[in-house]
Amino acid sequence: MMSNDPTLVVDAYLDDELDLAHVLELEQRFASEPALAQERDRVQALRALMHDRLPREVAPQGLATRIESAAGLRRTPSRPSWSALAASVALAAVFGSGATQLALHAATGNPDMNTVIDSHLRALMAPAPTDVSSSDRHTVKPWFAGRITQAPRVVDLTNEGFPLLGGRIDVVGRNPVPALVYRHRQHLISLTAVPDNGRGGAQTRTIAGYNVLAWTDNGVRYWAVSDLGSGDLDTFAKAFQASPDR
Amino acid sequence: MLPHIDDCYRLARWLTGDAADAEDVVQEACLQAFRGISGFNGSNARAWMLTILRHAAYRWLRKNRPAALIAVDDVDALAGRQGNGAAGPGVETPEAVLIAKSDAARLEAAIAGLPVAFRETLVLRDVQGLNYRDIAEVTGVPIGTVMSRLARARRHLIATIGTNE
Repeated sequence: MMSNDPTLVVDAYLDDELDLAHVLELEQRFASEPALAQERDRVQALRALMHDRLPREVAPQGLATRIESAAGLRRTPSRPSWSALAASVALAAVFGSGATQLALHAATGNPDMNTVIDSHLRALMAPAPTDVSSSDRHTVKPWFAGRITQAPRVVDLTNEGFPLLGGRIDVVGRNPVPALVYRHRQHLISLTAVPDNGRGGAQTRTIAGYNVLAWTDNGVRYWAVSDLGSGDLDTFAKAFQASPDR
Repeated sequence: MLPHIDDCYRLARWLTGDAADAEDVVQEACLQAFRGISGFNGSNARAWMLTILRHAAYRWLRKNRPAALIAVDDVDALAGRQGNGAAGPGVETPEAVLIAKSDAARLEAAIAGLPVAFRETLVLRDVQGLNYRDIAEVTGVPIGTVMSRLARARRHLIATIGTNE
């Protein structure tokens, strides 16, 4: 049975949503009812106009890249399941701005540690964990040249199970510092290198489910942050420390 | 890797009216989709993705363009501006000719002026090419409502651009 509202049927006819019996019935009405045929012509003209004139926009290239990075999908050799990735969507940045540090809660001891966690949580919404995405240390390391004054130590830990994803620049106390991003299974690790002449010892902490591991080497204070287990994060730190520069 | 991202971007553009805002909405929707992938029943990924996009766009509208949502059910104002179908004044001179000559800018402005419920239905059908059943799924209304919104949106556009101005 046909709808009482003829205009709905005309649209459904043009949209190919009518079954054959109704198509036949309507085509007979078009022949005998000029007004209905004109209605059809108007709607068809509009459909054609929209089809011909409206831009078929595609998403900007950078958008897909940013989203994939934010979701941890970039440069993963074996594609992990999306649900597993959900756990590691929590990504990257380690240090925030000076303003962030002012806003720190004084709940726990080390302000740097709090900054690390706060920044890590905020990074959930960051568009990408890296500014330069490459698994090649010879691409990542030169990228920092000209952007910051220190040449960071970049090592390839693929054989140890921590492939390099890329790097970015964090800002710590208004100073740009290099940060590297590594991956272990579906987890991302941010490693930020802050120039520090002190002799801070190794430090481990778990806050809000994230593990933070800090150590000092050669005048650089390294901060590793991840939702990786503390044992795995420790393995990562040892692999980084033990890896030769070349 | 990101299927349907162009579909999502187009719908987001039409719902937010701005390229940069559309990117934000698409990103939020994609990340939500990643988190909620286990809730996907596997039958129609495109409709599922567009549904998530639409929810993200509506959240964005509520926050940034609340006025746009107040007009969602403003069916009567829309209906009042359309001619009464075949009985309209343009029976003698085929409006179809005028419509066909209308330029893109005028068309886009007319679509952008539609209340959001009508705009999304029209865009899903005439830009994205979804069938009625999928549009009903994405917009969460019965197919009859889809049909009526689509017909009203089109008649409104015809009344707007099918005139000499």
